[in-house]
Amino acid sequence: MNYFDLFINETKVHFFEMRQYWFETVTALLMIVGIFVGLFFGVKSLMPGMSEGDSLDGLVFGFLLWSFASSAYNAVAKSIIEDTQKGYIEHLFMCPAGFSKLMLTRTLAELIIGYGYLILIAFVAMWATDNWIDINFFWLFCLLMLAAPSLVGLGFLISGLALLFKKVETVGMMLSLAFMGLVALDGLPFNIFTLLPFVPGASLARDVIVAQQPVNLVHVGIVALNSLVYCLVGLMVFRRMEKLAKQRNLIGKY
Amino acid sequence: MLAVRELSKFYQNKPALDNVSFNLNRGEIVALLGANGSGKTTTVQAICNLIEFEQGDIQFDDVSVKNNTRYLRHVGAVLDGSRNTNWRLTAHQNAEYFAQIKGIKPKHSRPVINKLSSQLGLEPHRHKEVMKLSTGNKQKASLLCALAYQPELMLLDEPTLGLDFSTVNELQQIISEQAANAEQGFLITSHDLSFIDQICDRVIVLEQGKVIFNGSIRELNQQMFRYEMKVVAEREHIARFQETIQLTAQGNWEQHCDENRLVVHYDTVEQVLPLLSWLNNQSWRPQSLQVSELNIEKAYRTLLANKEAS
Repeated sequence: MNYFDLFINETKVHFFEMRQYWFETVTALLMIVGIFVGLFFGVKSLMPGMSEGDSLDGLVFGFLLWSFASSAYNAVAKSIIEDTQKGYIEHLFMCPAGFSKLMLTRTLAELIIGYGYLILIAFVAMWATDNWIDINFFWLFCLLMLAAPSLVGLGFLISGLALLFKKVETVGMMLSLAFMGLVALDGLPFNIFTLLPFVPGASLARDVIVAQQPVNLVHVGIVALNSLVYCLVGLMVFRRMEKLAKQRNLIGKY
Repeated sequence: MLAVRELSKFYQNKPALDNVSFNLNRGEIVALLGANGSGKTTTVQAICNLIEFEQGDIQFDDVSVKNNTRYLRHVGAVLDGSRNTNWRLTAHQNAEYFAQIKGIKPKHSRPVINKLSSQLGLEPHRHKEVMKLSTGNKQKASLLCALAYQPELMLLDEPTLGLDFSTVNELQQIISEQAANAEQGFLITSHDLSFIDQICDRVIVLEQGKVIFNGSIRELNQQMFRYEMKVVAEREHIARFQETIQLTAQGNWEQHCDENRLVVHYDTVEQVLPLLSWLNNQSWRPQSLQVSELNIEKAYRTLLANKEAS
């Protein structure tokens, strides 16, 4: 099985859906920017002292990280829940390459498309708030891709639970809120927060992109390790849940 | 090609499948019949690797499917309900997507999809998302997706559900052609006995998770009653009617009497004509008389009753 073909296949389907449901695509974009603009001016009016400088930059950048974290997590979790509801998940489990590998290629496709979205959101948000940050999007992409597997692992973990317990949307919503906290925490240098998913990745991105600090290889290693551990644990839990779901004939039952 | 060997599956210690064994060869069309809850869908799901089974094995080309997903490249399925397509995409987009999941590139799958789409009458709906299609056309879209990658083994769970007569005929033709020319093997579950009658080489009947019959359609028909006559009348008339049946009825038949109700099962339409003639010549009239073709569920029960009796 050619993984590149699977990746192209998933990308194509994503674009088909974006094109055929363009209204949904545009309104989702406008809504997320609208929420941010409201949040931005709300914070600014409540705290006049932070009208200039690092705090507002941090708010804009934090929002971008939160958008990415949500989309990386949803790339797996929402996808599996929606495919079950749409009613064809059994056929995805019949992929000769294996369901997990199919989901990983889909996740990669969604992350890359999601990053394109993120760039668009970044410019619209900076334009709407007139708060411009100098962002190196290539470096940001590299750092986020390094940190994303931790969220993908979390997505697999929750999806595994979804296979067994079905209704886990509430957990997903809670996690979306929790991501706001995760992207705001400082996980570098190593401290207790480093152990949380995506926290060291978000910290490294903030240090390198916003604070313009040089890349620290030890920090890169910490981010990679955080990603690896969460991704592996997520996949292991998912495989275990998949096995249980197959034993109890729960695949596709919703 | 497919060998199911002593397959058993339990739910809370109750067997859903109990020592099920059968083979399916390339180019063969086999029907898997049984009443609701008999284990048909569980068998199909086990072959599709959607459930884990406790005992036995399934082999595809002599290789066990346990801990193996590669064989799925050669397995296509239309599962029960409308659980086969992404309803936000068109039938063609779905078919290309699923073909590529199985490793078939669009340049190879497209000609097959176009041909099948015409045969199934889906061309006028080419640009409609599956959610906008009628129930019958949704089923056709599912068939298109499953056939698009030309799998060696096709599993069709109730494929005629919601299809009109002409499409059922088209489907029969497609299945027969695919089996003969492309050497595809088909395992079909259906309640449509006439559909099964016309295209299947062999029939496997499941009852409470066990195989109770595995043989040709002809052999099955010999063991299964197809028609039923129900007569309700006064007890003395029923008794006389029973005697007449004993004396005049021809061929294979059976009767059950319950107070003032008599149920007669038989094989062919012709068998009932002498009985109706006898009834017509009597001075009394039954309170009710009903002659009907048995649906598949009832026909299985007669088969099961025969098995138990023998």
